[in-house]
Amino acid sequence: MIFASKSPKSRLNRRGIQALIGAVVAAPLGYLFGRYLVALEKAGAVSVAGLGWSDVLALLLAAMMAVVGLVTILVSLSRRTLGRQINPEETRPATPSQVVFYAQNGLVLLLAGVMMAIPVLTPVLFSPLSPMIASAAMTGLIALFLVQTAGNIAIWAQSDELMRRAMAEIAGVSFAILQGLLFLWAAGEKLELLPSLRLWDAASVMMAAYLVIGMVITWRRGLAG
Amino acid sequence: MKNRLKVLRAERDWSQADLADRLEVSRQTINALETGKYDPSLPLAFKIARLFGQPIESIFQDEA
Repeated sequence: MIFASKSPKSRLNRRGIQALIGAVVAAPLGYLFGRYLVALEKAGAVSVAGLGWSDVLALLLAAMMAVVGLVTILVSLSRRTLGRQINPEETRPATPSQVVFYAQNGLVLLLAGVMMAIPVLTPVLFSPLSPMIASAAMTGLIALFLVQTAGNIAIWAQSDELMRRAMAEIAGVSFAILQGLLFLWAAGEKLELLPSLRLWDAASVMMAAYLVIGMVITWRRGLAG
Repeated sequence: MKNRLKVLRAERDWSQADLADRLEVSRQTINALETGKYDPSLPLAFKIARLFGQPIESIFQDEA
Protein backbone atom coordinates (compact mmCIF):
# COMPACT_ATOMS: atom_id res chain seq x y z
CA MET A 1 0.00 0.00 0.00
CA ILE A 2 1.33 3.42 -0.87
CA PHE A 3 0.67 6.04 1.75
CA ALA A 4 2.90 8.86 0.56
CA SER A 5 0.81 11.92 1.23
CA LYS A 6 1.20 14.68 -1.33
CA SER A 7 1.18 18.19 0.06
CA PRO A 8 -1.64 20.61 -0.84
CA LYS A 9 1.01 22.70 -2.62
CA SER A 10 2.05 19.86 -4.92
CA ARG A 11 -1.62 19.10 -5.68
CA LEU A 12 -2.16 22.79 -6.44
CA ASN A 13 0.89 22.78 -8.71
CA ARG A 14 -0.42 19.70 -10.54
CA ARG A 15 -3.83 21.29 -11.04
CA GLY A 16 -2.15 24.53 -12.17
CA ILE A 17 -0.14 22.64 -14.78
CA GLN A 18 -3.29 20.82 -15.95
CA ALA A 19 -5.13 24.17 -16.25
CA LEU A 20 -2.19 25.67 -18.18
CA ILE A 21 -2.09 22.71 -20.60
CA GLY A 22 -5.87 23.03 -21.02
CA ALA A 23 -5.59 26.75 -21.79
CA VAL A 24 -2.71 26.23 -24.24
CA VAL A 25 -4.70 23.55 -26.11
CA ALA A 26 -8.11 25.27 -25.90
CA ALA A 27 -7.06 28.77 -27.02
CA PRO A 28 -5.79 27.83 -30.51
CA LEU A 29 -8.68 25.36 -30.94
CA GLY A 30 -11.19 28.11 -30.11
CA TYR A 31 -9.45 30.51 -32.48
CA LEU A 32 -9.43 27.95 -35.30
CA PHE A 33 -13.10 27.11 -34.69
CA GLY A 34 -13.95 30.82 -34.88
CA ARG A 35 -12.05 31.15 -38.16
CA TYR A 36 -13.83 28.06 -39.47
CA LEU A 37 -17.23 29.58 -38.59
CA VAL A 38 -16.33 32.84 -40.35
CA ALA A 39 -15.25 30.88 -43.43
CA LEU A 40 -18.50 28.89 -43.37
CA GLU A 41 -20.57 32.07 -43.12
CA LYS A 42 -18.67 33.67 -46.02
CA ALA A 43 -19.43 30.55 -48.07
CA GLY A 44 -23.13 30.89 -47.12
CA ALA A 45 -23.21 27.54 -45.31
CA VAL A 46 -24.22 29.01 -41.94
CA SER A 47 -25.78 32.22 -40.67
CA VAL A 48 -24.37 33.60 -37.42
CA ALA A 49 -25.59 37.17 -37.93
CA GLY A 50 -28.64 36.71 -35.70
CA LEU A 51 -26.73 35.38 -32.70
CA GLY A 52 -27.19 37.45 -29.54
CA TRP A 53 -25.13 37.61 -26.34
CA SER A 54 -27.17 34.84 -24.73
CA ASP A 55 -26.55 32.57 -27.74
CA VAL A 56 -22.79 33.14 -27.45
CA LEU A 57 -22.98 32.51 -23.69
CA ALA A 58 -25.01 29.33 -24.28
CA LEU A 59 -22.49 28.06 -26.85
CA LEU A 60 -19.60 28.79 -24.50
CA LEU A 61 -21.33 26.89 -21.68
CA ALA A 62 -22.27 24.08 -24.06
CA ALA A 63 -18.66 23.73 -25.23
CA MET A 64 -17.37 23.73 -21.64
CA MET A 65 -19.86 21.09 -20.49
CA ALA A 66 -19.36 18.92 -23.57
CA VAL A 67 -15.55 19.01 -23.31
CA VAL A 68 -15.51 18.29 -19.56
CA GLY A 69 -18.09 15.53 -20.08
CA LEU A 70 -16.07 13.97 -22.91
CA VAL A 71 -12.82 14.13 -20.91
CA THR A 72 -14.59 12.52 -17.93
CA ILE A 73 -15.91 9.71 -20.14
CA LEU A 74 -12.46 9.18 -21.70
CA VAL A 75 -10.77 9.12 -18.27
CA SER A 76 -13.34 6.59 -17.01
CA LEU A 77 -12.39 4.23 -19.86
CA SER A 78 -9.10 3.52 -18.06
CA ARG A 79 -9.52 2.20 -14.49
CA ARG A 80 -5.90 3.09 -13.70
CA THR A 81 -6.19 6.71 -14.93
CA LEU A 82 -9.52 7.18 -13.17
CA GLY A 83 -8.06 5.69 -9.99
CA ARG A 84 -5.26 8.27 -10.07
CA GLN A 85 -7.83 11.09 -10.44
CA ILE A 86 -10.00 9.82 -7.56
CA ASN A 87 -7.14 8.91 -5.21
CA PRO A 88 -4.08 11.00 -6.11
CA GLU A 89 -2.21 9.57 -3.09
CA GLU A 90 -2.47 5.97 -4.25
CA THR A 91 -1.93 3.79 -7.31
CA ARG A 92 -4.96 1.50 -6.98
CA PRO A 93 -7.26 1.33 -10.03
CA ALA A 94 -10.83 2.57 -9.81
CA THR A 95 -13.51 0.04 -8.88
CA PRO A 96 -16.13 -0.98 -11.50
CA SER A 97 -18.82 0.99 -9.62
CA GLN A 98 -16.59 4.10 -9.65
CA VAL A 99 -16.08 3.64 -13.41
CA VAL A 100 -19.85 3.50 -13.97
CA PHE A 101 -20.44 6.50 -11.68
CA TYR A 102 -17.87 8.74 -13.42
CA ALA A 103 -18.94 7.60 -16.89
CA GLN A 104 -22.53 8.51 -16.00
CA ASN A 105 -21.39 11.91 -14.72
CA GLY A 106 -19.52 12.50 -17.96
CA LEU A 107 -22.49 11.42 -20.07
CA VAL A 108 -24.92 13.67 -18.17
CA LEU A 109 -22.56 16.63 -18.60
CA LEU A 110 -22.04 15.87 -22.29
CA LEU A 111 -25.81 15.65 -22.84
CA ALA A 112 -26.29 18.96 -21.00
CA GLY A 113 -23.78 20.56 -23.39
CA VAL A 114 -25.51 19.12 -26.46
CA MET A 115 -28.93 20.24 -25.16
CA MET A 116 -27.61 23.77 -24.56
CA ALA A 117 -26.18 23.96 -28.09
CA ILE A 118 -29.13 22.55 -30.08
CA PRO A 119 -31.46 25.61 -29.81
CA VAL A 120 -28.61 27.91 -30.92
CA LEU A 121 -26.98 25.78 -33.60
CA THR A 122 -30.16 24.50 -35.30
CA PRO A 123 -31.18 27.93 -36.73
CA VAL A 124 -27.51 28.61 -37.61
CA LEU A 125 -27.05 25.36 -39.54
CA PHE A 126 -30.54 25.23 -41.11
CA SER A 127 -31.20 28.81 -42.13
CA PRO A 128 -34.02 29.59 -42.91
CA LEU A 129 -35.41 27.29 -40.24
CA SER A 130 -38.40 25.25 -41.41
CA PRO A 131 -41.12 24.16 -38.92
CA MET A 132 -40.26 20.52 -39.67
CA ILE A 133 -36.58 20.94 -38.71
CA ALA A 134 -37.58 22.96 -35.64
CA SER A 135 -40.02 20.22 -34.57
CA ALA A 136 -37.39 17.52 -35.11
CA ALA A 137 -34.88 19.51 -33.01
CA MET A 138 -37.46 20.01 -30.25
CA THR A 139 -38.38 16.30 -30.27
CA GLY A 140 -34.69 15.41 -29.98
CA LEU A 141 -34.29 17.90 -27.15
CA ILE A 142 -37.18 16.40 -25.19
CA ALA A 143 -35.75 12.89 -25.67
CA LEU A 144 -32.31 14.04 -24.49
CA PHE A 145 -33.91 15.83 -21.55
CA LEU A 146 -35.62 12.61 -20.44
CA VAL A 147 -32.39 10.59 -20.77
CA GLN A 148 -30.45 13.29 -18.90
CA THR A 149 -33.03 13.42 -16.11
CA ALA A 150 -32.83 9.63 -15.72
CA GLY A 151 -29.02 9.98 -15.58
CA ASN A 152 -29.25 12.68 -12.90
CA ILE A 153 -31.56 10.50 -10.80
CA ALA A 154 -29.14 7.56 -11.18
CA ILE A 155 -26.23 9.78 -10.08
CA TRP A 156 -28.21 10.96 -7.04
CA ALA A 157 -29.04 7.36 -6.11
CA GLN A 158 -25.35 6.30 -6.30
CA SER A 159 -23.91 9.35 -4.54
CA ASP A 160 -22.76 9.37 -0.94
CA GLU A 161 -24.04 11.86 1.61
CA LEU A 162 -21.45 14.59 0.94
CA MET A 163 -22.25 14.61 -2.77
CA ARG A 164 -25.99 14.67 -2.07
CA ARG A 165 -25.53 17.51 0.42
CA ALA A 166 -23.53 19.48 -2.17
CA MET A 167 -26.19 18.88 -4.86
CA ALA A 168 -28.96 19.98 -2.49
CA GLU A 169 -26.99 23.11 -1.50
CA ILE A 170 -26.31 24.01 -5.13
CA ALA A 171 -30.01 23.66 -5.94
CA GLY A 172 -31.05 25.68 -2.88
CA VAL A 173 -28.56 28.52 -3.34
CA SER A 174 -29.26 28.69 -7.08
CA PHE A 175 -33.01 28.90 -6.48
CA ALA A 176 -32.66 31.60 -3.81
CA ILE A 177 -30.33 33.81 -5.87
CA LEU A 178 -31.89 33.30 -9.30
CA GLN A 179 -35.55 33.63 -8.29
CA GLY A 180 -34.61 36.86 -6.46
CA LEU A 181 -32.81 38.24 -9.50
CA LEU A 182 -35.63 37.12 -11.79
CA PHE A 183 -38.17 38.91 -9.61
CA LEU A 184 -36.10 42.12 -9.51
CA TRP A 185 -35.59 42.05 -13.29
CA ALA A 186 -39.29 41.36 -13.90
CA ALA A 187 -40.21 44.27 -11.60
CA GLY A 188 -37.75 46.56 -13.39
CA GLU A 189 -39.19 45.48 -16.73
CA LYS A 190 -42.75 46.05 -15.50
CA LEU A 191 -41.78 49.54 -14.36
CA GLU A 192 -40.20 50.11 -17.78
CA LEU A 193 -36.80 50.69 -16.24
CA LEU A 194 -35.09 47.59 -17.70
CA PRO A 195 -35.13 46.12 -21.21
CA SER A 196 -37.23 43.01 -21.93
CA LEU A 197 -35.51 39.70 -21.42
CA ARG A 198 -36.18 36.71 -23.66
CA LEU A 199 -36.67 33.33 -21.97
CA TRP A 200 -33.52 32.10 -23.72
CA ASP A 201 -31.52 35.00 -22.20
CA ALA A 202 -32.79 34.01 -18.75
CA ALA A 203 -32.10 30.29 -19.34
CA SER A 204 -28.50 30.99 -20.44
CA VAL A 205 -27.81 33.26 -17.45
CA MET A 206 -29.42 30.73 -15.08
CA MET A 207 -27.23 27.91 -16.43
CA ALA A 208 -24.08 30.07 -16.13
CA ALA A 209 -24.98 31.08 -12.57
CA TYR A 210 -25.83 27.47 -11.67
CA LEU A 211 -22.42 26.27 -12.89
CA VAL A 212 -20.55 29.03 -11.02
CA ILE A 213 -22.53 28.35 -7.81
CA GLY A 214 -21.86 24.62 -8.29
CA MET A 215 -18.11 25.18 -8.61
CA VAL A 216 -17.97 27.42 -5.51
CA ILE A 217 -19.97 24.98 -3.35
CA THR A 218 -18.09 21.85 -4.46
CA TRP A 219 -14.81 23.67 -3.74
CA ARG A 220 -16.00 24.91 -0.33
CA ARG A 221 -17.26 21.43 0.60
CA GLY A 222 -13.90 19.89 -0.25
CA LEU A 223 -15.14 17.89 -3.24
CA ALA A 224 -12.35 19.35 -5.36
CA GLY A 225 -9.66 18.06 -2.98
CA MET B 1 -16.91 20.66 14.63
CA LYS B 2 -13.44 19.20 15.25
CA ASN B 3 -12.67 15.52 14.88
CA ARG B 4 -9.82 13.03 15.42
CA LEU B 5 -10.42 11.14 12.21
CA LYS B 6 -7.00 11.85 10.71
CA VAL B 7 -5.21 10.72 13.88
CA LEU B 8 -7.29 7.55 14.23
CA ARG B 9 -6.72 6.76 10.57
CA ALA B 10 -2.96 7.34 10.80
CA GLU B 11 -2.75 5.10 13.91
CA ARG B 12 -4.08 2.24 11.78
CA ASP B 13 -1.91 3.18 8.79
CA TRP B 14 -4.98 3.57 6.60
CA SER B 15 -5.10 5.90 3.63
CA GLN B 16 -8.13 8.11 3.01
CA ALA B 17 -9.24 5.64 0.33
CA ASP B 18 -8.96 2.71 2.78
CA LEU B 19 -11.17 4.48 5.30
CA ALA B 20 -13.58 5.54 2.53
CA ASP B 21 -13.92 1.88 1.45
CA ARG B 22 -14.64 0.77 5.02
CA LEU B 23 -17.28 3.47 5.49
CA GLU B 24 -18.72 3.08 1.96
CA VAL B 25 -18.27 6.77 1.12
CA SER B 26 -16.00 8.57 -1.36
CA ARG B 27 -12.42 9.58 -0.57
CA GLN B 28 -13.52 13.18 -1.04
CA THR B 29 -15.94 12.73 1.85
CA ILE B 30 -13.12 11.56 4.14
CA ASN B 31 -10.98 14.50 3.01
CA ALA B 32 -13.85 16.93 3.66
CA LEU B 33 -14.44 15.43 7.14
CA GLU B 34 -10.76 15.60 8.09
CA THR B 35 -10.37 19.18 6.91
CA GLY B 36 -13.53 20.29 8.76
CA LYS B 37 -15.35 21.25 5.56
CA TYR B 38 -18.18 18.81 6.25
CA ASP B 39 -19.86 17.44 9.37
CA PRO B 40 -21.16 13.88 8.97
CA SER B 41 -24.78 12.82 9.34
CA LEU B 42 -25.67 10.95 12.54
CA PRO B 43 -25.76 7.55 10.76
CA LEU B 44 -22.26 8.15 9.33
CA ALA B 45 -20.96 9.40 12.70
CA PHE B 46 -22.25 6.20 14.36
CA LYS B 47 -20.67 4.11 11.61
CA ILE B 48 -17.31 5.87 12.19
CA ALA B 49 -17.62 5.34 15.95
CA ARG B 50 -18.36 1.62 15.45
CA LEU B 51 -15.44 1.23 13.03
CA PHE B 52 -12.94 2.74 15.47
CA GLY B 53 -14.59 1.16 18.53
CA GLN B 54 -14.95 4.49 20.33
CA PRO B 55 -17.87 6.65 21.48
CA ILE B 56 -18.91 9.41 19.09
CA GLU B 57 -17.97 12.17 21.55
CA SER B 58 -14.37 10.94 21.73
CA ILE B 59 -14.04 11.29 17.95
CA PHE B 60 -16.10 14.45 17.34
CA GLN B 61 -15.87 17.52 19.58
CA ASP B 62 -18.20 20.50 19.41
CA GLU B 63 -16.14 23.70 19.06
CA ALA B 64 -18.75 25.85 20.82
